[in-house]
Amino acid sequence: MDTHLRARLQAACGLLALALSSACGGAAEEEVGSRLILGAYTTPREAYSELIPIFQSRWESQRGQPVTFEESYLGSGAQSRAIIEGFEADVAALSLEVDIERIAEAGLITHDWRSAPSGWLVSTSIVAFAVRPGNPLGIRDWADLARPGVEVLTPNPRTSGGAMWNILGLYGAAVRGGVQGVPAGDQEAATEFLQAVLRNVSVMDKSARDSMTTFENGVGDVAITYENEVLVGQQAGQGYELVIPGSTILIENPVVLVDEYVDQHRMRPAAEAFVAFLFTPEAQEIFARHGLRSQNPAVAASTAAFYPPVRDLFTIEEQFGSWDTATPRFFSEQGIFTLAISQVQGE
Amino acid sequence: MSPPGYRAGPASAAVPWGAWGLRAAAVLYLGALVLVPLAVIVQDGLRQGLAGLWRAISLPIAWHALRLTFWTAALMAGINAVMGTLTSYVLVRYQFPGKRLLEALVDLPLAVPTLVTGVMLVVLYGPQSPLGGWLESSFGWRVIFAPPGIVLALLFVTFPFVVRTVQPVLEDLDREQEDAAATLGAGAWTIFRRVTLPALSLSILSGALLSFSRAIGEFGAIVIVAGNIPLYSQTAAVYVLGEVESENRLGASAVSIVMLATSLALIWLVDALHRRLVRR
Repeated sequence: MDTHLRARLQAACGLLALALSSACGGAAEEEVGSRLILGAYTTPREAYSELIPIFQSRWESQRGQPVTFEESYLGSGAQSRAIIEGFEADVAALSLEVDIERIAEAGLITHDWRSAPSGWLVSTSIVAFAVRPGNPLGIRDWADLARPGVEVLTPNPRTSGGAMWNILGLYGAAVRGGVQGVPAGDQEAATEFLQAVLRNVSVMDKSARDSMTTFENGVGDVAITYENEVLVGQQAGQGYELVIPGSTILIENPVVLVDEYVDQHRMRPAAEAFVAFLFTPEAQEIFARHGLRSQNPAVAASTAAFYPPVRDLFTIEEQFGSWDTATPRFFSEQGIFTLAISQVQGE
Repeated sequence: MSPPGYRAGPASAAVPWGAWGLRAAAVLYLGALVLVPLAVIVQDGLRQGLAGLWRAISLPIAWHALRLTFWTAALMAGINAVMGTLTSYVLVRYQFPGKRLLEALVDLPLAVPTLVTGVMLVVLYGPQSPLGGWLESSFGWRVIFAPPGIVLALLFVTFPFVVRTVQPVLEDLDREQEDAAATLGAGAWTIFRRVTLPALSLSILSGALLSFSRAIGEFGAIVIVAGNIPLYSQTAAVYVLGEVESENRLGASAVSIVMLATSLALIWLVDALHRRLVRR
């Protein structure tokens, strides 16, 4: 029975909703607008735990009134759904544009978020590889992942936004001529290359974090993942190494105000100030210290030593148009990824 | 597991309110807790009718996930039937040091969070462990991140089911028939096979079916040990999570309905078997 799983998901949502409704009820009674709720994905948790206290002291010294924070960190897709189902986050910080779009489609974001004054893509990263200490298999680029006997980890695209980035990065690199042996523009060859890599995939975990945990437990020779996952892991003492492929995709993480909840909580000034703060050079440096590439050119230049440039960096818009076209093209029932995995397992 | 043989007597005719209240409470509780959520899933899966349900189930990845779930559960149930019977036979018929400890250990798998079970199995049998590495290099057997890992996880999670259904029956078993057979010159194995086993067969079957039904929905341990590659090692419960996460509620509910219907049918079967057992 899947009631087991479903019940767990719903229990989690229910608990969240409960915790929040009581928290919000309390806030409304005492004083209007002093608690800001942040609904984020898991990766930038450490960065936010540095950023929030700085913003709080700034805000209090400027306005003479404190602001408290309530933070929730979940997988990007799960967080997006929680917000839609009533987790009243004032600010949504997620890993994928589609996860913001879903909230907007539910009517909770009413402003034109793509032209927000301070911007909306607060941090970036790239799809890269984690390899074993000393890189014993000599993995340098995408083509090495298809070599026989190389064990590859990547999460399941049905459950993980990170996995979707990985597949699009791999396929994009292949059609752009970034993979040895795959002619540029040859979609058939790119699909074959995707199949060759999928043949080497031994574990598909349900999230990017889980996939790195499996890798940390000693499984696999390469994990395809976000660059920041590798950097944060290294900071935490993991011995694995980062390999940046010659051609890869730029990952952009949006931060957006959720109008419906902001107005309900009368938190607009604080929420807007917080989002603007995230784009200041000071905040951008903090993101950079936690493995995320800065959007701010000056900060990017000053942290360039830690973030080597990528020879051929492409965005989802450049290569695939948008998420709205890429998602069905790759991950639907007849999508390129779905057919490729069927082909590989059918052999 | 419904306790066999116990029936409440008729409620006192003078004050039926208490009895009715109790019944209403039980029905409401069951309805709110079990029936309504199940009904939601069924309604979800049928929103495009039976044809839509069938289409969602017959997608190669979904269909494979269901088949994998059922065959691993069936293999597990078979092993459980044999080993569970053996365990309960040993526990009932023999005295040996450490028996009490063993008795207590039988139920332990129910208390361990299944996620922990999964992690434990990966540590023990994973490709990086001495045991797992040895199995793979010497025999080419990959246990973890492959279907055998699923069977192993299910065996652990459902261990008590057969033991605990067979044990009470074995304890109540009249030994006169076995003694008579022995007097007539039958060997120990023959006695077990011709006398003891037939008396246990219904309880073994119902224990095995219960463990099968429990295994269909297992998620926590499997998501860790299976590897979750679609069309190879992804089970139905893990597939359902993927469909929920990618907003395909129809696909998730359709596969859930198949799992649910199978479990329900098996539970009915077990219940019917119990009734037969009690009547004997």
